[in-house]
Amino acid sequence: MKLSFAPLAAALFLTAIAPASAGPDQDSVLTYFQQRADSAASPERGKSLFEARHGGGKPQTPSCTSCHGGTPSETGKTRAGKEIAPMALSRTPQRFSDLKKVEKWFRRNCNSVLGRECTAQEKSDFLAFMMSQ
Amino acid sequence: MHGTNAADSGIATRPDRKASAKTVVWDIGVRGFHWSLVVVVATAAATGFLAPEWWLDIHVWAGYAVGILIVFRVVWAFYGSFHARLSSFLFSPNDTLRYLRALLRGKPQHFTGHNPAGALMVFALFVLLSALLVSGLMVLGGQENQGMLSGIVAYDAGHGARVFHELLSILLLFLIGAHILGVVAESLLCKENLAGAMLTGRKNRRSASTHPVPGTASPRRALLAIAVIAAAGGTAISALARMPASGLVEMPGNAVYLAECGDCHHAYHPSLLPASSWRRIMTGLPDHFGEDASLGRQTARELATYLAAYAAERWDTEAANNLRRVAARDPLRITAAPYWTARHKDIAKAVFAGKTIGSKGNCIACHADAATGRFDDQMIAVPEKQISQKATWRQQ
Ligand code: HEC
Ligand code: HEC
Ligand code: HEC
Repeated sequence: MKLSFAPLAAALFLTAIAPASAGPDQDSVLTYFQQRADSAASPERGKSLFEARHGGGKPQTPSCTSCHGGTPSETGKTRAGKEIAPMALSRTPQRFSDLKKVEKWFRRNCNSVLGRECTAQEKSDFLAFMMSQ
Repeated sequence: MHGTNAADSGIATRPDRKASAKTVVWDIGVRGFHWSLVVVVATAAATGFLAPEWWLDIHVWAGYAVGILIVFRVVWAFYGSFHARLSSFLFSPNDTLRYLRALLRGKPQHFTGHNPAGALMVFALFVLLSALLVSGLMVLGGQENQGMLSGIVAYDAGHGARVFHELLSILLLFLIGAHILGVVAESLLCKENLAGAMLTGRKNRRSASTHPVPGTASPRRALLAIAVIAAAGGTAISALARMPASGLVEMPGNAVYLAECGDCHHAYHPSLLPASSWRRIMTGLPDHFGEDASLGRQTARELATYLAAYAAERWDTEAANNLRRVAARDPLRITAAPYWTARHKDIAKAVFAGKTIGSKGNCIACHADAATGRFDDQMIAVPEKQISQKATWRQQ
């Protein structure tokens, strides 16, 4: 029952929070995770996931900000020294448009930072936050 | 005294002037050659001994200039004016010994042109500079995969030639020192400014000298000879230059590799690690230097095959030849290999950590051609110029 609401909820949610820059590709990526999440995406929870210092992952990378810069609009840097374009969709409009790429990086980065996969809920929170930035 | 005279070799002669008058002994060709050689050899020596390796181009151009000057001088040894000609300074061993003995007694015989010791010096410099040129081209072709010999000289040959090139260059310094000493000594003993004579061309003609008067040069014949040599040499050189560098392998581009291994660092050229290291890296991606770099199994397998196929063993470049030997305790890191640490030991930690570079593994920040695997000397530019002056283009 809940699942059938999800697309509608996602659509409503998108019109509510998503900035004009989110294109159809980003919409469908966010929808994909929304459909698998328990509750509507929360940009606030996404923000704290992004900023918090987690335990359980690899010691070199306690937080998403270890690589992605202190805020979504900052340019980040990998441990190997390569720049990472800002995560905020308004700053890097090509972001989150390829589901396979998004999945690959969630798998890797959540494992590096949290020591486990992120849940669909966490992923949609994170995307909602970045798309609102 | 010496075998030839002007009439034999068909040189036009001028009527003799008063003994001890100053006459032009060194023609403009000899003088121009001499001082150009001074400038060019000084440039080659300065860039060879002192300059950092990204100045290699200047060193190489100085080397080509030496080659051109030598060709000119050889031609001029047949078509120049009398004292420029080889025939005017060919002395028998006996003559040479007699001259040297007289020199040791402090009473050398005066020669208008080259004396026998000077002639020996000319031949020694000619042989040495030619050997330096050839060995230099071998280093360039074998070790750097550049220049006209890059298609035929392997890395090991180039590496061997380097030892030779360095020994010869030190020998050259000694010879230059001996040459200057000789000039000073003879200038004092014969009370004649020989260095000045090489500038003005004028020297005393003494009655003691048995040389005939200077013959005139045949610049037109010289020009013709040079044109023939240039055409033949140019054809050979351009044929050589068109050969692909022997150390490089033709490698197809691999978009998947560039995309999958180029996000966190630039995609390292496959020639920078041996196949065994690549295999271990590709099976350990979930814990990749303290990070999860996992890939789908199919992609990982494809990339592992690609990397192993084009690993360091396949290439004959300077980087591949040396980075093949990995560090026993850290075989997965290029930056742990003994050669890598030796070549970068003069670079301060702070330079790597600096904002624009970020890490040792960011090769492309300092090596503009890192993506090709060449790592040419001329392509090195450290963004933060904090590199120690000790770093020269010579190897450690
Ligand atoms: C070890 C460094 C590192 C850490 C820590 C890290 N990331 Fe990333 N992340 C990257 C890199 C590198 C990329 C790919 C580069 C790019 O897309 O510009 C990336 C890309 C992503 C992408 C895909 C972006 C897109 O355009 O599709 C997402 C989503 C992402 N990261 C989420 C996270 C989250 C969530 C965390 C914290 C749990 C995190 N990252 C922590 C390095 C990191
Ligand atoms: C998620 C980010 C990430 C991805 C993707 C990634 N790497 Fe790395 N790689 C790193 C980090 C971090 C280091 C260690 C940097 C350091 O310690 O300076 C590293 C180091 C290396 C090194 C050693 C470099 C050195 O310092 O000598 C090699 C070789 C390497 N990676 C190969 C690969 C290959 C091949 C791939 C593709 C299959 C790949 N990497 C993908 C993050 C990544
Ligand atoms: C901070 C800048 C910097 C970084 C980063 C760097 N290098 Fe270098 N590299 C240099 C300098 C400078 C030299 C010349 C050192 C000398 O004078 O011998 C050099 C020399 C070399 C040489 C010898 C080149 C030759 O023809 O003499 C190789 C090969 C090389 N580096 C490979 C690498 C690789 C591979 C990486 C990345 C894993 C790397 N370098 C990263 C600055 C850097």
